[in-house]
Amino acid sequence: MEKDFAQTDADLIELSKKDPEMFGLLMERYQGPLFHYIRRMTQLGSDDVQDLLQEVFIKIYQKLNEYDEVLKFSSWAYRIAHNHIIDYFRKTNARPQTNSLEDYEWEKIISASIRIEKDVMNKDCVEKVKICIEELPLKYKEVLILRFVQDLEYEEIMDVLKKPKGSVATLIARGKEMLIRKMKEKNINCF
Amino acid sequence: MKDLIKDTIGKIKKEHILPEPKWKYLVRKYGIWFLFGLVVVFGAISFAAASYLLSSLDWDLYRFMQQNRAGYLLSIFPYFWVALIAAFIIGAFFDIRKTETGYRFSLLKISLITIGSILILGAIMFFAGLGGRFNSMMASGVPYYGQHMMVTKELQWSSPEKGFLSGEIVAVFDDKLEIKDLKEKNWNIQLDEETLIRPMANISKGQMIKIIGTQLGSDDFRAIEIRPWVGGGMMGGSGINSGQRNGTNSGRGMMRGN
Repeated sequence: MEKDFAQTDADLIELSKKDPEMFGLLMERYQGPLFHYIRRMTQLGSDDVQDLLQEVFIKIYQKLNEYDEVLKFSSWAYRIAHNHIIDYFRKTNARPQTNSLEDYEWEKIISASIRIEKDVMNKDCVEKVKICIEELPLKYKEVLILRFVQDLEYEEIMDVLKKPKGSVATLIARGKEMLIRKMKEKNINCF
Repeated sequence: MKDLIKDTIGKIKKEHILPEPKWKYLVRKYGIWFLFGLVVVFGAISFAAASYLLSSLDWDLYRFMQQNRAGYLLSIFPYFWVALIAAFIIGAFFDIRKTETGYRFSLLKISLITIGSILILGAIMFFAGLGGRFNSMMASGVPYYGQHMMVTKELQWSSPEKGFLSGEIVAVFDDKLEIKDLKEKNWNIQLDEETLIRPMANISKGQMIKIIGTQLGSDDFRAIEIRPWVGGGMMGGSGINSGQRNGTNSGRGMMRGN
């Protein structure tokens, strides 16, 4: 597996088309970020997230010929995962939640949204803000997670969501505004 | 995590899962661009047809209709074609957005691409004379098009009760003409010293003309002004202007009495 880092994603894609074993190298590169993305978006347990992730990887494998090098492979893989998650919510009629985020992940969103230093965060306050974030519509929660937890750039989020850069920026800004409004409504003023 | 990789590859092998063939993707990809091309072509046809209509209409008739210029322009505006152009522009816009990386183009860029392609191709079609053909095809093939959906030149000049008549000259006499209108009805056109004949209007048998005047009876019409079928008839004339209605000569036509 050592030599896989010498090969680009595009190389591995070409090799995977001929030999599924090579697809394992691609999976190894991206299973971590995709696993966490699916977990953060679906709030499922580890086994269920792995099942979804396997379905996502099989979709990626089936679509290998669709991959266009104008996109980063990671963005394209996130896009497939995003679509799969949306399908999953539709099929199961499940309501998306975000309370499976780890504390450090919550802090990333909160500090990015309300501009505070992490070390000033008060645990009770974080709990209250979590509730506000959970109440945000999925599209706002998702961009906040992609931007501040997955650390994706605006261009990558554009490619994942297939939305223009302006729309992505608007979603992020509105998500933050909504969060601040909700905090004011609930009189959360502990930072 | 290692198990996930093994399980997934095992499943791929066991179920003989293969990447979808590239041609399917290419068909989808180029299909969207083909659709874009088609929408642009239809938009261009609409633009050429609208341009033809606007260029073939007489823009100064409001002077004879007791109507102001704005009201007249609104009454002859080719709403049907303009609505189609707008629909095709919107269609092309969403089609580009549907392409693999269409979301990366800004609103301005997509608008410039779609509107620009429709206008450029439409202008080429118009100058190639296709606008007139599309209008004729629509007039003959689509019910109500020529009568209700559009102010066409033919409709505009088939309203003797409003003072506008056109047709082919059947006979020429000293003080009158006989014409067959667009509905194959014969009319006696009375000429007098006040009748203005535009320079390019050829008053001879077999020529198509447009006449502004007054309906006197069921088949009698008094001509105030005669124009050629195509255009206003001002080019290359003998030089008589509107003052000539009162008998002076300066550029707009020739009084029959002169």
